[in-house]
Amino acid sequence: MSSDRQIRSQNWNLGRILRSASFRLPLIYAVLFVLSAGALFVTVYWTATAAMQTDMAAVLRTEAYQLAEVHRRSGLAGLAEQITRRINFRTRGPIFYLLQAPNRRVVVGNLPGMPPVDGVVDFVPQTDTPEPEAEPSKLTGFGLTLSDGSFLLVAQDADRLTAMQHAIARAFVWASGLALLLAIAGGALIGSSFLRRIDTITRTSLAIMEGDLSARIPVRGTYDEIDQLVSSLNAMLSRIQQLMDGLRQVSSDIAHDLRTPLGRLRQHLEDARARATTTADYDAATDAAIEEADELLETFSALLRIAQVEAGAQKRGFAEVDLSELARSVGEAYQPAAEDSEHTLDCQIEDGVKLAGDRQLLAQMITNLVENALRHTPAGSTVSVSLRRTAPPGFEIEVADNGPGIPEDEYGKVFDRFYRLDRSRSTAGSGLGLAMVKAIAGLHGLIIRLEDRKPGLGVVLMSS
Amino acid sequence: MKILLVEDDKQTADYIAKGLREHGNVVDLAGNGRDGLYLATGEKYDVMIVDRMLPAMDGLSLVKAARASSVRTPVLFLTTMGGIDDRVSGFEAGGDDYLVKPFAFAELLARVGALARRPPIVAATSLSAGDLEMDLLARTVTRAGRRIELLAQEFKILEYLLRHAGEVVTRTMLLEKVWDFHFDPKTNIVETHISRLRSKIDKGFDKPLLHTVRGAGYVIRSPD
Repeated sequence: MSSDRQIRSQNWNLGRILRSASFRLPLIYAVLFVLSAGALFVTVYWTATAAMQTDMAAVLRTEAYQLAEVHRRSGLAGLAEQITRRINFRTRGPIFYLLQAPNRRVVVGNLPGMPPVDGVVDFVPQTDTPEPEAEPSKLTGFGLTLSDGSFLLVAQDADRLTAMQHAIARAFVWASGLALLLAIAGGALIGSSFLRRIDTITRTSLAIMEGDLSARIPVRGTYDEIDQLVSSLNAMLSRIQQLMDGLRQVSSDIAHDLRTPLGRLRQHLEDARARATTTADYDAATDAAIEEADELLETFSALLRIAQVEAGAQKRGFAEVDLSELARSVGEAYQPAAEDSEHTLDCQIEDGVKLAGDRQLLAQMITNLVENALRHTPAGSTVSVSLRRTAPPGFEIEVADNGPGIPEDEYGKVFDRFYRLDRSRSTAGSGLGLAMVKAIAGLHGLIIRLEDRKPGLGVVLMSS
Repeated sequence: MKILLVEDDKQTADYIAKGLREHGNVVDLAGNGRDGLYLATGEKYDVMIVDRMLPAMDGLSLVKAARASSVRTPVLFLTTMGGIDDRVSGFEAGGDDYLVKPFAFAELLARVGALARRPPIVAATSLSAGDLEMDLLARTVTRAGRRIELLAQEFKILEYLLRHAGEVVTRTMLLEKVWDFHFDPKTNIVETHISRLRSKIDKGFDKPLLHTVRGAGYVIRSPD
């Protein structure tokens, strides 16, 4: 019971949502998404960076070679003048220049002097002038040693690259953060609705465990997997309830209906004890007691068989049964008995009707119907057994009589255990014959129909 | 006859053993399946009566094991009521007949007798008792040379009685063998058939062949 309480006290809090399967799945997908976004990011980052670096290097190289051309035409002084102009008017955008004489003296430029390097170079200028343009932390430059040994460096701020890299990284962080958030929120939402439905199932099963067998789990009508599960659970519960009701019925039936024969048995024994004086008296009382005991045993046996048949265990042993042959054989078996009780037993059996079933049970079913008809109709009545095909592969077997019949409002009850019509109370019989018929018919998927034969009763068993 | 009875319920076992001994049989008793198997494989019996539910080794396993050790002794299973599937599983395990508890002692006696004197496997073409002759090939019956017309089910009843001539055949044995009904109909269908059969084969003859054994069943007996 402690585990029940544990389930009940567990509200659907965040911890439970986090543990729930329906939440974990979106979370796993979110993590996978972030990982693949990360891979994409790295690719984009490196490709964009490389492309931008190439682009910048090309711009710088072009500028450097243009200036080298100026140097070739106008000499160092001309070049210095050109550079000064470019710095002052920023004709080429934020480009930094450095022109060093061969003796490393800075001729002109807005960059501090440095050892000459040819080609693309990344560097951080060692500033000692607090010029705002010279402040950038990192520059990309293109160095060129000119024909007279002087050194020209054209450089550009690497910040643009860094800014772009940062923008890509920021976009990635935002996008994956948002995706993660959506996944978590969505997962929590789906998870909580899922959990609510699971909780309903749990609550219902607890109610059932506490004895309310009529409780059923509500179906949402969405026909999704949970609805299907709920439907089959409900069907299972109905079956269980039906079996339980049957069991309860049997118990109370036994209590009520076996009291009478047990009382009679006791009576016989008491009589023998009190009144018997001769051996013949004792024999008579003993025989009566044995007969009563046999009847009791027979009733018990019938109840057990009905219960077994209702439980459906025999289906395992189903084989093809020739119903025509069986019905004919039952008819022949009852012919003399019917004649003795002045009944006419009429058989109309079509050949070759077969079904998968238990031969013994089917024989007992037909037997019970025939016996029932013979027993409850007066001498001179006709009982007919007929087996006919209906729309293929269907068939119906009917046992009908032209006796007094039964009132229509009793139709539903005659198949109950121990149910007997008032006028049949005095006739022999356990009141279990038709209950057995119903159980066997149910096991074989046969539908029972009662028909007023005017006069008489027809019991029809139809294949479904 | 030497009979092995394997039954764990002391009261039932004593009741059966006492009855069997009173009818001139030698009965060995085993209270559980293991002892039963030991006796079944070590001694020679005419019939074994085996309860289905036994301690140490259940009846089915006992008979399967005995059959595996080439014990050919006929086996009668005792089963509790309600077990519809018991009959089939009993036959599959190598049982020859079965009886549902509780049973009338006469029923047990008749079945044990029928098992012990099972007719030879060789197919007979004719059966007889006194001046009654049954031709199994032509499917005709004559008594003192006079032809008797029987219905199919009457023929089957007479055939079974003749195969067990001199032995008591019970009502339920006939239900099982003639109609293959392994349940108990409320109507006395066997009695009604027997009475018709009797009027056909005995009526008009001095000495009756078909006798009713009160509280047990029927027997075909030659008049001499």
